[in-house]
Amino acid sequence: MTKYFIKRFLQLVVVAFIISVLVFLLVHLLPGDPSVTILGPNDTAHNRAILFKQLGLNKPLLQQYTTWLNAVFHGNLGQSYLNHESVTHIVATGAPIDIELIVISQVIAFAVAIPLALITSRRPNRAFDNVSTTTTFGLLALPPFVIAPIMVAVFAVSLHWFPATGYVPLTQDPATNLHDMILPSLAITAGSIAVYYRLLRSDLISTLQEDFITMARSKGLSNRRIMLRHAFRPSTFSLLAAAGVNIGALLAGTFIVEYLFALSGLGYSLVQAVQQRDYLVVQGISLVVAIAYVVLQFIIDFLFTVVDPRVVRE
Amino acid sequence: MLGAAASTALTGCSSSNSGSSSSTAAPGSKPGVGTGSPVRGGTLTVGTIAEIDGFYPPSNHWDTNGFIYANAIYDPLMAVTADGTVKPYLAKSMTSNSTYDTWTLTLRPGVKFNDGSALTSAVVMANYSALKASPLTGVALNQVSSVTTLDDMTVVYTLTGPNPTFPAGLTTQVGYIVGEAMIQQATSNPSAPLTPIGTGPFIYAQWQPNDHFTATRNPNYWRSGLPYLDSITFRPIPDTTQRESTLRTGGVDMIESVDPTTITNFSGSAGTGFQLVDTSTGVIGQPSFAFIMLNTAVPPTNDLSIRQALAKGLDQAAVQKVIGGPPAKPATGMFLPGSPYYSETDYPTYDPAGAKALVGAYKARHGTPTVNLLTIPDPLEIKVVQAVQQMWDQVGFDVTVSEVEQATIIDDFVFGKFQAATSYQFGAVNPDLNYVWWSTTTISPIGQIGLNFTRVDDPTIESALLTGRHTTDQATRVTAYQTVNEQLAKQLPYLWVEQYVFSEVGAGRVQNFNNPTLPDGTPQYAFDEGIFVPTQIWLAG
Repeated sequence: MTKYFIKRFLQLVVVAFIISVLVFLLVHLLPGDPSVTILGPNDTAHNRAILFKQLGLNKPLLQQYTTWLNAVFHGNLGQSYLNHESVTHIVATGAPIDIELIVISQVIAFAVAIPLALITSRRPNRAFDNVSTTTTFGLLALPPFVIAPIMVAVFAVSLHWFPATGYVPLTQDPATNLHDMILPSLAITAGSIAVYYRLLRSDLISTLQEDFITMARSKGLSNRRIMLRHAFRPSTFSLLAAAGVNIGALLAGTFIVEYLFALSGLGYSLVQAVQQRDYLVVQGISLVVAIAYVVLQFIIDFLFTVVDPRVVRE
Repeated sequence: MLGAAASTALTGCSSSNSGSSSSTAAPGSKPGVGTGSPVRGGTLTVGTIAEIDGFYPPSNHWDTNGFIYANAIYDPLMAVTADGTVKPYLAKSMTSNSTYDTWTLTLRPGVKFNDGSALTSAVVMANYSALKASPLTGVALNQVSSVTTLDDMTVVYTLTGPNPTFPAGLTTQVGYIVGEAMIQQATSNPSAPLTPIGTGPFIYAQWQPNDHFTATRNPNYWRSGLPYLDSITFRPIPDTTQRESTLRTGGVDMIESVDPTTITNFSGSAGTGFQLVDTSTGVIGQPSFAFIMLNTAVPPTNDLSIRQALAKGLDQAAVQKVIGGPPAKPATGMFLPGSPYYSETDYPTYDPAGAKALVGAYKARHGTPTVNLLTIPDPLEIKVVQAVQQMWDQVGFDVTVSEVEQATIIDDFVFGKFQAATSYQFGAVNPDLNYVWWSTTTISPIGQIGLNFTRVDDPTIESALLTGRHTTDQATRVTAYQTVNEQLAKQLPYLWVEQYVFSEVGAGRVQNFNNPTLPDGTPQYAFDEGIFVPTQIWLAG
């Protein structure tokens, strides 16, 4: 087990190193003077000279990289050339929004998909299963930019249950924060519910055909016990893999929802930075998101070993 | 509307219309004009279209939002009155010599910045130096040959030539005065975050870009008894529908919009309980226009017959329908009927047969003309561009469409890297503020910075622009700008689409957002290209 994790960790370090090099080179791979790339064509020679000195752009590339990496390890990801906001601050304020969106949406998705799959897999192709399958197909076809305005029209404008937009940090007012985040989270939940439900249902149906389930039934165990204690865990392998990919995609991938609900999460900040050619912000957020993705996959790898310890032997 | 505002910061997005019009306030009252006695206190929350890039006039690109934010924490030297004339604001007076090439500005005494420093001529000089040195704003001050101080409160501007309308320039971005400490900070460490220092009604409190900007009441504001609000918060909500929904659900007290459907959505019974103000009527000077810009320096749009064919092949009325909102007026130039500068022009009408003939003649000489139409990735823009592409394809063009981000498209304009592009521009209280966009002196080769984006090179236009700038005779000025308008209709660097309308919607309790006055009590230009002044706004109980 330890060897497995050391191996995985070393892979993580290598991938993180490659990511850091690529992200560092982002500014340098673009054509032209990096100081013009960073400051834009309309800035003064004086400001370019200062930036040149600050970033050490006249030094060898390797030295620039080590200087940059050292700064990153000290929590300095640079700053926006447009509004001079520190990228670390952008990440610090944006990441909690993304994390909340992901956590709430995934909790809702699992809370709906898992019970639904447990129920329908016991009696596949019956009326309830058919309705559930059709409904989740429908959910898959509804992207957030379609669902969000409908939800706002119904739950915010008509019923006044939730605000149309707004965000208060969790640390400031947890109740209001949760209230504000429900609609944006629901907007990205639909697709997850559909995927998780269908994968788990399919794996459960397959698992329920296994000999050990027949054995359990022959022992007279209740259906509830069979589903929860025997069938569920071995059926979650695909679910876990899909969750890993899905959550990874949601890291800074919730741009549409953040745009619609005016949330300054990492996705929105990243797209804004790309649109404004604010390359140091793009560089900083890309680095954080890529590293977070790698770490997430490391955690998923760990969870695989919990679900199925044979993974370690393989 | 056609987006991609071609940087208004250079001339400051000052504007033109008398600011205001329609809608659905309480019976007997005018939208945005306060009724009853002002109430002190409270926080006004405004949903804005987009975020700004900063508060520093020499380096930030102020659009409508930029000016709205600026009006909260800074004051301009001069301001536009409701009848379109220019009067002092931070200045106490501004007078010229008899030839209008030297202007003396005297500052209002006793004005202090929020850091406690005094407004003096040295501060105005420091602002001028920073603005002049900036590639962004320096061009707006090209007509100023020197600035000197006579004493602590007097500044003298010497111009390169006469300009009776020079004070209008000081109502724009180059007229907003920031504290000297802020300039020193920006100069010594340009990459450090700047804390705005101003003389305005509110003091910068907190800015989290893309989330909110909050300013709190300036207790020592030089305009006695103002402002009424305790604080003002701006929240960028980029999606129009969501911005409108947030207003309807009480998440914000006011919203701004450039989407014509907002006017429809808050008109009539749909606007009950809200106050809508827009710029569709009451234009005094020059409104913003949506248009398709043609580069006259690159093939095939460098060929006048091609530009004529594109103009004749563009069904303006059909494009206006695609944009939506209330019916728009036909646009044949950059002035609307009712403006003193308006005149009939030879701008081509929709004539697909004529367009086909011109394309056919061009094809015989050079082959099928291929035109790339550049736009920004905005859903409405894309709908418009697709309609235009179809129209031009039908008359024989081979049209491709490219989408680039806002920041990129402005650079493409500046460097002349486009053939045709959607844009909007030109709102100005005085047409002279648009000099840089059409002057032959601001043309640069493709690939170099040129503020004459279309590279339209017409000595008649240049001559008329200079006449308009230098003359003291209003009739001569009117004729000059009519000449510019007529020449643009002949040269066709712009294919006009419609007036670009700004709107603002306030909840019923928001009082007086459309009724500011100048320090001397003169009614101020209230809703200048969507820009409002928060100083005299209050919230009803």
